[in-house]
Amino acid sequence: MNRTFVEIRERRLSLSNLGKDLYPSYGFTKGRILEYYRRIAPFILPHLKDRALTLKRYPEGVERDFFFEKRCPSHRPAWVKTAEIPQDDGERMTVCLVNDLETLIWAENLASVELHVPLARINFPETPDFMVFDLDPGDRAGILECARVALILRDLLSRMELASYVKTSGKKGLHVYVPLNRKETTFEDTKTFSKAVAAIMQKHYPDLVTAKMAKKERNAKVFINWSQNDASKTMVCVYSLRAREKPVVYFPLEWRELENPAGLDDPEKLQVTHSEALSRAEKKGDLFQEVLVKEQKLPHL
Amino acid sequence: MAGATIWKGYIHFGDTDVPVKLHTAIKEERIQFHLLHKRDQVRVRQQMVCAYEKQPVPAEEQSKGFEVEDGKYIIVDPEELEQTAPESSRMIEVHEFVKTGQIDPIFLDRVYYLEPDITNIQGKGYNALVRALKEMDVTGICTWTMRKRSYLGALQARGRVLRLNTMRYADEVIPVESLQLPDVPLSEKELKIGSELIEKLTAAFEPGKFENEHEKKLQDMIEKKARGEKIAVLVPRRLKPTESDQLLQVLEASLKKAA
Amino acid sequence: MAVQGIWSGTISFSLVAIPVRLVTAVEPGRVSFRLLHKKDYSPLTRKMVCPKEETKVPRDEIVRGYEIAPDQYILMTDEELESVSPERSRTIEITEFIDMKEVDPIYYDRPYYLVPSKGGEKAYRLLVEVMRRTNRAGLAKFVLAEREYLVAVTPRDGALALTTLHYSEEVLPEEDPSPKKEKITADEESRIKKSVKKMIEDFDPGKYANERRKKLMDLLEAKAKEKAPVEAPAVEEEEGEGPADLVAALEESMRKVKEKR
Repeated sequence: MNRTFVEIRERRLSLSNLGKDLYPSYGFTKGRILEYYRRIAPFILPHLKDRALTLKRYPEGVERDFFFEKRCPSHRPAWVKTAEIPQDDGERMTVCLVNDLETLIWAENLASVELHVPLARINFPETPDFMVFDLDPGDRAGILECARVALILRDLLSRMELASYVKTSGKKGLHVYVPLNRKETTFEDTKTFSKAVAAIMQKHYPDLVTAKMAKKERNAKVFINWSQNDASKTMVCVYSLRAREKPVVYFPLEWRELENPAGLDDPEKLQVTHSEALSRAEKKGDLFQEVLVKEQKLPHL
Repeated sequence: MAGATIWKGYIHFGDTDVPVKLHTAIKEERIQFHLLHKRDQVRVRQQMVCAYEKQPVPAEEQSKGFEVEDGKYIIVDPEELEQTAPESSRMIEVHEFVKTGQIDPIFLDRVYYLEPDITNIQGKGYNALVRALKEMDVTGICTWTMRKRSYLGALQARGRVLRLNTMRYADEVIPVESLQLPDVPLSEKELKIGSELIEKLTAAFEPGKFENEHEKKLQDMIEKKARGEKIAVLVPRRLKPTESDQLLQVLEASLKKAA
Repeated sequence: MAVQGIWSGTISFSLVAIPVRLVTAVEPGRVSFRLLHKKDYSPLTRKMVCPKEETKVPRDEIVRGYEIAPDQYILMTDEELESVSPERSRTIEITEFIDMKEVDPIYYDRPYYLVPSKGGEKAYRLLVEVMRRTNRAGLAKFVLAEREYLVAVTPRDGALALTTLHYSEEVLPEEDPSPKKEKITADEESRIKKSVKKMIEDFDPGKYANERRKKLMDLLEAKAKEKAPVEAPAVEEEEGEGPADLVAALEESMRKVKEKR
């Protein structure tokens, strides 16, 4: 195993196997993954801060099995911030908090290509900071349908005085976030609200939208998954790399990108590669910043 | 007397088989506290509640799942995962022997005494095994399945008896490196005085001289409270830490005191 | 280490006092399962329930009590518990040093590490180093939570390890098997020794951990092939669209949205 040592803010890290290709179909080594995360760090860290990290590790590359770990690996440096959360069996589980660059690099050195975090922060586990809609097109639906649904959803939310933000998800899906950032909000609130929204969407656009999970319902429709609004659920963090064939990024989009129908028949067009992600973020800043700061109240609850 | 027999099995390696009985070696008797509901002082109970239905779910309606992806589970019978050998196997299989000195005690967990099981007609070989392990100064690393769980263990001889320790796995032990302790230079003088002080304070290990005094005091306090008497709440004082630049002087003063 | 420790206080020997924190040295690695509701795989959570009132009890309403008679309890606060042995709750006072080799490992209970707090780094390092040079361990008594422990403080790879020990009254005497004394034949002895010799290896704890993990992954993979992982259904079974007010407001908004489109 070959090792390299780096120092970040006087903390020493041992990095291994930087030359290993973790995206074999495309060609993207672990070293390049680390480089991506190092550069995207100023944008991704605020979204990871104080949230229990779920690691999805791909030590053998994205085309092989992954390890799903909620527990913070015990072989960690002292400076990795952790927290303890109570578990079902009465035991307490130690989780990692990625609150600084060196912890991010340490986690990436473990080949945690994708970073998943809960909707609530560690000290307020029952208070969601935002409400999410996971738009998942069925087999015969595509990015075009998904974008349509996202735009209608945005309009509907906007009429309810709620601003929303969108990021790419997977091959042709989208995630819509509604920032809340109020300590009075509960998961009960976000679940009730999002479920009602999904039901209304299905009611008025039955050929386009389904609010039911069953696969047979989806097909040519877009499934609005509202059940992610739960204390036990996690979402892949914005700016995280995707662990599939190509190193694309879960990247925030401007709503106008979805409004432009031309180019939406090719799902590839909306995918943001690692290099695009870096140049776009460095140029335009964090388009998802409002998700962390904007305070909104869910009405009519 | 020794603890109860909790299990019977046989040690196996090569063409050696030694039937044994496992006994507990430690008996802890401590004052037990219960968790109570403040309002009515009734003991609280634990219940498994369904996240969605919000109703308690009895054991027979529960199954165990291993989370492989967010919200997705593979239903498993944990016994399948926990066992390396079928439940019915009574074999304590020794996979290798290592020099006893190589095993850092941090890896040893619970300990059991092994007694030869003479009810088993194959009941021989125990003493020979004890002698061999002692003379060669080795420990057997083994695995076995007991009460639906599989264990990694260390088989050792001590005196005329065999002991079986369950062992911790390497990924369960926090490595010292992760503590990231700072490196601080020490002078030869400090080290010399320090070592002399330790030698002066050295005594033979006599475990019998240590008693659990706290237990008695706690019992007294509980009884006092039960009688309705007031308990004095004492705030312990904190010792003033030794300043780094005072260390040598404090060591010298300690040495003087110990003499 | 983890941001929170288990305890913080002082460790002392003679006149030297070192501020320290106690942290765990072992993290349970047992595979953790989620308990699920058999019928729909929804996850279960543990709740503390008061059987009398049949309600859930939040953490701050739970207290510790000692049973003196059936259903009669004496409650103890944390301050009162600390008052039982106040000095020992704050200080690990090493009263003597021993040769660790004299300690039968049967006395070992749980392992911890001590980590120096600010200002104690030098004295900490000194204690580690001199114990290492003299091959000694420090013995102390120390109260953690409601229990008093006899502990051994030892140098380990440059750190102070603290191991709680069992009291001698807690260690059961061994059964001496000598009544069942068998004659050991020279043959038998050499046969066993030969077998053992063939199986001597270096101690490699990492090896067993990797094997265990691999076994787990293999089994899960095999199971995943038989049957796809199950997922708890979202609460779609629930009837109703939601609170009436909300639904009405949504309907009104949706009407406006459709007009514009």
